[in-house]
Amino acid sequence: MVLWFIGLSLMLAVLFYANLWYGSVLIQWTDIFSVLMGKTSVTDISRVIVLEYRLPQAITALSVGMGLGVAGLLLQTIFRNPLAGPSVLGISSGASLGVAIVILLGTSLQFDWLGSTHILSELGVVFAAFSGALLVLGIILFASGRIANVVSILIIGIMIGYTVSAIVGFLQFMSHAEELHAYVLWGLGSFSNSSSEQSVFLLISMLIVVGIGFVFIKPLNALLMGESYARSVGVNTTRVQRAVIILSGLIIALATAFTGPIAFIGLAVPHLARNLFRSSNHGLLIPSVLLMGSILTLLCNLIAKLPGYDTSLPINAVTSLIGAPIVIWVIVKRGRLKKG
Amino acid sequence: MSTLLHIDSISTGYHWNTRNEVILHDNISAQVSNGEMVCMLGPNGAGKSTFMRTILGFEPLHRGQVYFDKKSLTDLSVHALAKKVAVVLTDRIDDNFLSAYEVVSSGRYPYASFTGRLKETDHQHIVEALALVGASALSSRFFRELSDGEKQRVLLARALAQDTDLIFLDEPAAFIDSPGKVELMELLRSLCQQNDKGILITTHDMEPALRFADKLWLFADQRHFQEGSPEQLIRGGSINSFFDTEEVVFNPENRRFEKRIDQNS
Repeated sequence: MVLWFIGLSLMLAVLFYANLWYGSVLIQWTDIFSVLMGKTSVTDISRVIVLEYRLPQAITALSVGMGLGVAGLLLQTIFRNPLAGPSVLGISSGASLGVAIVILLGTSLQFDWLGSTHILSELGVVFAAFSGALLVLGIILFASGRIANVVSILIIGIMIGYTVSAIVGFLQFMSHAEELHAYVLWGLGSFSNSSSEQSVFLLISMLIVVGIGFVFIKPLNALLMGESYARSVGVNTTRVQRAVIILSGLIIALATAFTGPIAFIGLAVPHLARNLFRSSNHGLLIPSVLLMGSILTLLCNLIAKLPGYDTSLPINAVTSLIGAPIVIWVIVKRGRLKKG
Repeated sequence: MSTLLHIDSISTGYHWNTRNEVILHDNISAQVSNGEMVCMLGPNGAGKSTFMRTILGFEPLHRGQVYFDKKSLTDLSVHALAKKVAVVLTDRIDDNFLSAYEVVSSGRYPYASFTGRLKETDHQHIVEALALVGASALSSRFFRELSDGEKQRVLLARALAQDTDLIFLDEPAAFIDSPGKVELMELLRSLCQQNDKGILITTHDMEPALRFADKLWLFADQRHFQEGSPEQLIRGGSINSFFDTEEVVFNPENRRFEKRIDQNS
């Protein structure tokens, strides 16, 4: 088990380094080390590429990966549903709505002075996504205060998602081609929108919220046996469920704000971790989804850069292509377990 | 012998909202003491499980009061209650990777620290509880892969590990074959007597209830709750009045149901 954690950490380190090294401009892997160490012997260009582009991108991918992995695990446990994930609560749709309002209504509200491509990197989009996500989170919490049944909350989350998508569709219909293009680009997700300051901010805030997840190890383990059993050993289930919804909501809001919606990571990684360790113990799973989420996003980011063009493939498509087969594999495997 | 559970004139039922409630049973008072095995007996749908959930605080208590060790249910926190009563429920546990040992260890959560890390004494309790129900060999197996009978043993071990004076079991023998049922009831009987626990069981199975219980609580639709020893209830004709149908009659002599014989012929 310890060996697995060492192995995963090594994999993470290697992938992180590979993300700095691989790209459309060839840089010697030894040079990357010198750049990171702050040695001036390397040419300015590789320094700029590594520090200004690839490093923030790798940090963003790593932060979002660990966040989505942990959020997916928390949600799957409290909803006792293997298909729960960051998208089900409607929180990422909320983020889309915020961004849609800023980008698509941008012209009429007179803040498209930077042009559509620049809008993407603007803090305004991050702020809009975060507000939209928090708005949906607020609605879900309001509902959960009235409804004790956690499945109803799940359904409400999914319905909010549909409603928000409808509003976004309406906005898309009314907007111009240029803004529509910018919005679609945002929806495809990208790890390369953040500046180095933003990526460090994202990493630190993600570490804080993900760290809070460790507080819930004991009640989450109790919830594996269902609400009634958890209650019978002294867990205040309603309070834990609400706290976990807030926590995962914040994680998803943060992640989506900086990168756009990233599909399947939050859904697939907890299944991978459970099957790797053959355990449901959150004391083991939280650190492992944290590592595996980061590994998977860094890997996806690398794959996205494979074609070697100036621009990389849309990350949301890559994570779906990798994540969906993982989920299918897990479900097939589970079916075989039940039969045997 | 002291009273572990005192139920003081409560009513149970379904409450959709304050104006719309269906009362199943009204004004019920009863007690469970240590060393006592009580069976709540009644047909399916008579409200036994709802009653059990109500006295556990899982359903809102609208009338009357429940006392655990003289402390009222409304004053007990969820955490404090977990040290008074342990449960074996009918809820399905469908997690794939929980081992039997982990299931039993969750009984120690009320005593575990904030992080949930178990101490040496906790592990001792778990091992003892598994041994007591004869499930030591199952401890490293996945809970999901156990048979229904084995699952019930592990869940009982979990309740024992919780180290409470009271154990409530909801239909513990429902999916177990006949020899298994008798084994389980014998086991509960000996836990009652040797470990001085108070045990409350819901069941729709009359034969083991009459054979093993110290006290019966009778539940039926549209009937007022009745309490007494199996002997009293059989002699007093309560079993007959609660369970006889147009087709079958309870025979107090051999304690079995028989086809109703027309008295005129």
